Amino acid sequence: KAVEPPQPSAALQSLKTARLLRPEQLLSLSYPAGINGMSSPNPALNAAVSKKGTSFKYDPNFLLQFKTVFTEQPSMEFHQQVKTLIGDNDGGR
Amino acid sequence: MSEQVDLTTIPISPDGDRGENESSTAAADIDSKLVTVFHDKDNFNVKHPLQNKWTLWFTKPSSGKGDNWNDLLKEVITFNSVEEFWGIYNNIAPVSELALKSDYHLFKEGVRPEWEDQQNKHGGKWSYSFKEKRNIDINDIWLHTMLAAIGETLEEDNDGEVMGVVVNVRKAFFRVGVWTRTIGKSIPNRGDGDVAGGKGRPAEKGKQILENIGKRFKEILKLPATEYVEFSGHTDAAHSGSTRAKAKFTV
Repeated sequence: KAVEPPQPSAALQSLKTARLLRPEQLLSLSYPAGINGMSSPNPALNAAVSKKGTSFKYDPNFLLQFKTVFTEQPSMEFHQQVKTLIGDNDGGR
Repeated sequence: MSEQVDLTTIPISPDGDRGENESSTAAADIDSKLVTVFHDKDNFNVKHPLQNKWTLWFTKPSSGKGDNWNDLLKEVITFNSVEEFWGIYNNIAPVSELALKSDYHLFKEGVRPEWEDQQNKHGGKWSYSFKEKRNIDINDIWLHTMLAAIGETLEEDNDGEVMGVVVNVRKAFFRVGVWTRTIGKSIPNRGDGDVAGGKGRPAEKGKQILENIGKRFKEILKLPATEYVEFSGHTDAAHSGSTRAKAKFTV
């Protein structure tokens, strides 16, 4: 029977097409309530971003906020690819 | 421009409230076009760049039949945004589920996680072995090690030392490490400047930079003051025929 080719999820399509933020955008961005952006909570760490314009330092607490927000596999083939490379994690063959 | 602009639409009073409101609305307009994953997790148009591109590698456990290391070391994926990092992390096995003799390596793009690599062969690593495997949360430790690497908080801007991070799953221990470009000395052909391996960086400063990386790593591992992370040069380990080479520095 004919199988519909799987379509990338909306989140994966966004990941592929989204542009990388520039330093000044990163610093001025306002995040939704409850999200700590780059201007807080650790300005000392992020001073580097504005200073050089090319340096991106991220506090671990900033990065951890993404953990439950971006959960899609990073490409359509990723699971299969990982399975081929790594195997089934069954303790070896 | 033949059409005349309606003058009432132009803010003319610099001291009035109206002028300020107009400009802040304009700024908000520009911002509102930047949709992050936090604003809309399915339809975002900007992502958070990393300072470096990073490649995740995996070492498969040997079958015990004389496998070639090159066949066991697998390049998984290269990425350059925070969002991609989490897409990867959320879709691969945590360290606690890996078979014995597996490794994950997260290295800067273009650097193979092998001491023979041109960019590693004059370097070394900070490492620590957790021998009480049951008493630690290795997944959390490895995650925080990776976050410090991609977030660039292991070293200062111009240190130029960190090449990658690694976790080894072994029968008797989990070992976590940070690989550096140098062992605090200058490297042939790295120039005269104050860069990692450059002649312009005094040995004392090189050592200081490595020790600072070791201290930050130790904090990430949440080790008590009574435990030490050890630094050793890759070639020391190779020549001694063991990864238990004598530590060059400890913190």
